[in-house]
Amino acid sequence: MVAQLTSGERQLALVVLIALALVGLAMGVVGRADPIGVHGLIVLVLSVGLTFLVLSSLYAPEPSAERLSQYYDDPSKVGIILAIVWGIIGMAMGVWVAALLAWPDLTFDAGWASFGRLRPVHTSGVIFGFGGNALIATSFHVLQRTSRARLAGQFSPWFVLLGYNLFCIIAAAGYFMGVTQSKEYAEPEWYADIWLVIVWVTYFLLYIRTLARRKEPHIYVANWYYMAFILVVAVLHIVNNLAVPVSLGHAKSYSAFSGVQDAMTQWWYGHNAVAFFLTAGFLGMMYYYLPKRAGRPIFSYRLSIISFWGITFMYMWAGSHHLHYTALPEWVQTLGMTFSLVLLVPSWASAGNALATLNGAWHKVRDDATLRFMMAAAVFYGLATFEGSFLAIRQVNSLSHYTDWTVGHVHAGALGWVALITFGSIYSVVPWLWKRERMYSAALVEVHFWLAIAGTVVYVFAMWNSGIIQGLMWRTYNESGTLTYSFIDSVVAMHPYYIARAFGGLLFLLGILVCAYNIWMTIRMAPAVQPTSTADLPEPRQIPVSPAPAE
Amino acid sequence: MPEFHRKIERSAIGFVLAIVVVSSIGGFIEIAPLFTIDETVEAAPDMRVYTPLEVAGRNIYLREGCYACHSQMIRTLRDEVERYGPYSLAVESKYDHPMLWGSKRTGPDLARIGGKYSDAWHVAHLFNPRDVVPESVMPKYGWLQRNTVRTDDLGEHLAAMRAVGVPYTDEMIANAGNDAFGQASPDSSFAAGVSERYGEATQVRMFDGNPEQVTEMDALVAYLQIIGRLTDVAHKQAALAQEGAK
Amino acid sequence: MSLDHETLVAFSKSWGLFYLIALAIGVVIYALWPANLSKFHVAKQSILDEDDKPWT
Repeated sequence: MVAQLTSGERQLALVVLIALALVGLAMGVVGRADPIGVHGLIVLVLSVGLTFLVLSSLYAPEPSAERLSQYYDDPSKVGIILAIVWGIIGMAMGVWVAALLAWPDLTFDAGWASFGRLRPVHTSGVIFGFGGNALIATSFHVLQRTSRARLAGQFSPWFVLLGYNLFCIIAAAGYFMGVTQSKEYAEPEWYADIWLVIVWVTYFLLYIRTLARRKEPHIYVANWYYMAFILVVAVLHIVNNLAVPVSLGHAKSYSAFSGVQDAMTQWWYGHNAVAFFLTAGFLGMMYYYLPKRAGRPIFSYRLSIISFWGITFMYMWAGSHHLHYTALPEWVQTLGMTFSLVLLVPSWASAGNALATLNGAWHKVRDDATLRFMMAAAVFYGLATFEGSFLAIRQVNSLSHYTDWTVGHVHAGALGWVALITFGSIYSVVPWLWKRERMYSAALVEVHFWLAIAGTVVYVFAMWNSGIIQGLMWRTYNESGTLTYSFIDSVVAMHPYYIARAFGGLLFLLGILVCAYNIWMTIRMAPAVQPTSTADLPEPRQIPVSPAPAE
Repeated sequence: MPEFHRKIERSAIGFVLAIVVVSSIGGFIEIAPLFTIDETVEAAPDMRVYTPLEVAGRNIYLREGCYACHSQMIRTLRDEVERYGPYSLAVESKYDHPMLWGSKRTGPDLARIGGKYSDAWHVAHLFNPRDVVPESVMPKYGWLQRNTVRTDDLGEHLAAMRAVGVPYTDEMIANAGNDAFGQASPDSSFAAGVSERYGEATQVRMFDGNPEQVTEMDALVAYLQIIGRLTDVAHKQAALAQEGAK
Repeated sequence: MSLDHETLVAFSKSWGLFYLIALAIGVVIYALWPANLSKFHVAKQSILDEDDKPWT
């Protein structure tokens, strides 16, 4: 892959990697008494490793000019594989922490293996590792096709993808060592945050530069969503992570905000991370791969525009519904609740638009599990956004908040919407990227579909039950006017549901393992022998004389 | 209007700026009043800052991810007030960088945990929760008793907190390491300085019952015992409300 | 900064809402403007062709 870079790009890569290695070295030296030193070592080892990779092909011949008449898909391929790897890690961690809640001693007597440190590995692993890599990989793919233009440069896509994964590795390794800001979904410490800003700005510039090269006059709606994802995540990330580090040799920092201000900032971030990371980006996937796979244009382009601006505008206001009945001023709570309710309109417009696109193609949905993944995702998106608006009502929230209902809601969105739309997109894009006729096994896609659906349903139902029971037990009074249940009574009542939840998660994990095997076998399959598609093979690696093996 | 939109959409940069402006205005307008929120936070003249040992303990609380299962925010609901105590006031987390209000109660709320149980209970509970509460699903934290707490850099920690607005004095910062040792070693010569700098009411004692070293257990228990007790304004307000009701 | 909390709250509640309504109306007008329909039609069809190469 390095040989595909021009010699100028190889030199640039070398300079960046050496600079990064030096930063790692400095972190290791300055922070030798602190976890930041371990992080420095990780940075050093990874960048030196990549340096050798670049050096090995530094003087390889220049790539042919032919490449410019094709799309640049290598980073997308690597991104898809990384997404699956992170997905397996993140979901396996999820099953482990779920099991720990049912059987708390199912671990080692060591800090790294305790629930509180494993949990962020699960959340970051699936959200940032799995979701983030899938977003980056598909955004490159969609951006080029809808712009009819090749990515601007070959270095910055790699910098974005690998730099982002370095951030994920730093994050996960840090959690095991107890390095965390303790802000949910923004746990990585200051230096990882700074690094992510650099990567994200590069991502943004790459996107803009490619769009500027586009040959289509109109920017297709999927790009609007990807763009909103990139931009707003940058704003959220920078504001919520403002902090003062103890010193350059300490991983630890203190948040710039405190108390009520910090709470508001955190949930403004948290809720909009759901909106712009877990919704906008994945809607971008949906608006491209679903019509493409169904072979039908999106039902209403007008509706997609209206819902885009609705989501972009209104989500920003809704964050305070996470803080009902707290020390937050009441008007902010009311505003958050109102906008959460109104938000249902653009959300359902998107879900309805997706389903209406499939109207008339139901036979395809029946026969093609890939398309069915995307249809189910749209259904779960509709359900989860309805539930979200419902839970944002103050009175409902008084029961549901702090309980497993929230966890169930999050997973209805994360498993049902985010993961299903991602799997649907991955199954569409893998044969496309690797120039195969189809996935290795349609039957295995079918198996994955049912494992994923069963896992999601078991999980969500278990959490609905446990959450509502929990909430009711906490507020039940007996005849004499005192609370009926002690807290531990509610913990005991959760046990069967926690077992069910771990089982649901296990089914979902099995699904992604099936997916990984299917992708692996697809890559190993012989390329499709279509005369039209040979022209734009990204890497004409095969030796011309040898014909493709029959089996 | 449509002409304008068509234009911005055709130039990618303009389109991007439109997204930035549109979405950040909404976000900014909602959070803008929170930058002046300190005007609305209750006054608590008696509120003290965390001692260095409590800061170290709080950092252990963060490190182990306790916030994932325990909230520190009692809502203004009858059952919560009866179960946990007076509802939380904004001022009580004024010095919390970051706040630990939490989002989930796999275990009970901890906003009023300080002083509710003995040190010995906390030590036994953290060592193995199921020794104390047989049905508990909380993890064991055996290593807290084995690890000595790092105190040599606590001055830098306090200085960083001062940079974000916690009123630590130069003297507090200069003596941070000694004060952390002193607070867990009542018989040492450093103990007196803690009460001098942080007030007579500061709890100076051997939290983990082990005189050999100042462990992470000492620090965490010291923190747990101060949660909700930096100021008693919430209790005072609750008492006033009760009198008013009569 | 001489803005006090009350002023900011009042501003957020009134002008913020006005801003939202104005924006919503603008977007709906754009989306429903008859002259834009043909463009949207081209856009939604554009992704469906099998052409998988950059245009030059």
